Amino acid sequence: MSDFDKVRRIERICFQDVVQRFRLIQERPDTLREAFAHLFRKQTSYHDFEALKGISFIIREGEAVAIVGRNGSGKSTILKIIAGVYRPTAGQVRISGQVGALIELGAGFHPDLTGRENIVLNGLLLGLSKREIHAREQKILDFAELGDFIDSPVKQYSSGMFMRLGFAVATEIDPDILLIDEILAVGDETFQRKCAERIEDFRRRGKTIVFVSHNLVAVRQICHRALMIDSGLLFADGPVDEVVSDYEQRMQGSFEQRPHASAVPSA
Amino acid sequence: MLQLIREIRKNRELIWALALKELHVRYKRSALGFLWALLNPLLMMIILTMVFSTVMRVPVHNYPIFLISTLLPWTFFSQSLAYSVESIVSNGDLLKKVYVAKSVFPIAAVISNLINFLLSMIPLVLLLVVFRFPFHRTWFYLLVPFVSLLLFTLGCGFFFAMVNVFFRDMSHILQIVLQAWFYFSPVIYSLDFVPARYRPLFRLNPLAYPLNGFRLAIYYGQLPTWQSMAMSLACGFGALIIGYKLFQRSEDNLVFYV
Repeated sequence: MSDFDKVRRIERICFQDVVQRFRLIQERPDTLREAFAHLFRKQTSYHDFEALKGISFIIREGEAVAIVGRNGSGKSTILKIIAGVYRPTAGQVRISGQVGALIELGAGFHPDLTGRENIVLNGLLLGLSKREIHAREQKILDFAELGDFIDSPVKQYSSGMFMRLGFAVATEIDPDILLIDEILAVGDETFQRKCAERIEDFRRRGKTIVFVSHNLVAVRQICHRALMIDSGLLFADGPVDEVVSDYEQRMQGSFEQRPHASAVPSA
Repeated sequence: MLQLIREIRKNRELIWALALKELHVRYKRSALGFLWALLNPLLMMIILTMVFSTVMRVPVHNYPIFLISTLLPWTFFSQSLAYSVESIVSNGDLLKKVYVAKSVFPIAAVISNLINFLLSMIPLVLLLVVFRFPFHRTWFYLLVPFVSLLLFTLGCGFFFAMVNVFFRDMSHILQIVLQAWFYFSPVIYSLDFVPARYRPLFRLNPLAYPLNGFRLAIYYGQLPTWQSMAMSLACGFGALIIGYKLFQRSEDNLVFYV
């Protein structure tokens, strides 16, 4: 998109020097006995861990942005901050528009409730009103393709059915910002294709997508821009092909530094 | 306080659905289902009546009614706390994945028990009819102890739900606290039975006021003094404001410890 376009589009997500610190507590006194034990040992048994060390970026309406990085680099922490699950330790976060998260499908489903009952409960948890849920119920049922199972408790569902229902509820709320965390890796081919179609549909309709994945093929397919994160810092932000190539090179680099590569005995 | 009202208004459908879910799951697999909400207090009342009118005679006229008029509100209080104390911890997985106002969980725990409490009034009415016990006009006054007790329970619910996240012993401690609280509250006895010089001590118990209100209205057909009514409401509002404030203060940190 042109620079002119960029300025006119609404800022959906704005991170400014965002820091997220976790207090990692070793052997946190969970019980009274341990609390007493700690009273006598007098040691500080925690250290702070900065998952994000000051990250800034802006994501506008209509952008499909991938976040790439190694395990533990802070990708999921960014998603959770956008979703409102974490409040950052420092820095500014502005979100405008409704956020829908495909972080863990079916989070909040109760095993003893039926599929239909869970649609209502989950929709309410995601911030919809009863009326909005009933208006979407038929579409959710159509997408999930559960047949008669819809009135059975979800604990009897196969994992595929469970995920279809979770995906259907999460995407039918039709959020302005869709967060996707590695979910395309699950389910059978038909389901994956349906998911991909739906995400493509979101993109066409100018919704904002933030996609976290190790599947670089999917990243290149869905997104046009990528952020590379490593150890809580933003390393690159640009067109998806550039950033992903850069990322692949760096990954290669880290492999080369492994001891076995240089430990070739000299003749 | 205003924020709490806003939060409840905004999430009212969710709170209601969570409360119903709680009841639904509790009764779901049983053959009699929701009937247990009526049957359970009814059977309890029959047992108490049998024991106290034959085996153990207490020199109080119609002792079963004397007892049940305060036992039902007490059960609401203790059950609500038993549910709220676990309400945040048991929904930890969910809180780590979706943003939800955390207050909905303790509120829903209290509401689900409130529904049970209201249903248990039906067997109480039956009992009064069987005993040919008069329905005093003071039943209308029940609203005051009822509201006081509800607010007090909510306040305590917020507090224990929050503390249990950081300090898991709370749910065990609560069981003991409730047991002691039961015997130090005017449930099986009334304050008149307590030796006069200890009575001021028993008046420090904030639950004594609403419980006494229930008994006066149902059993004695009397109104409490206005001081007692005021104390009852003040304790309710006080507990709610303090409990919610403490809950709110650590709300953002809950997710890191569940």
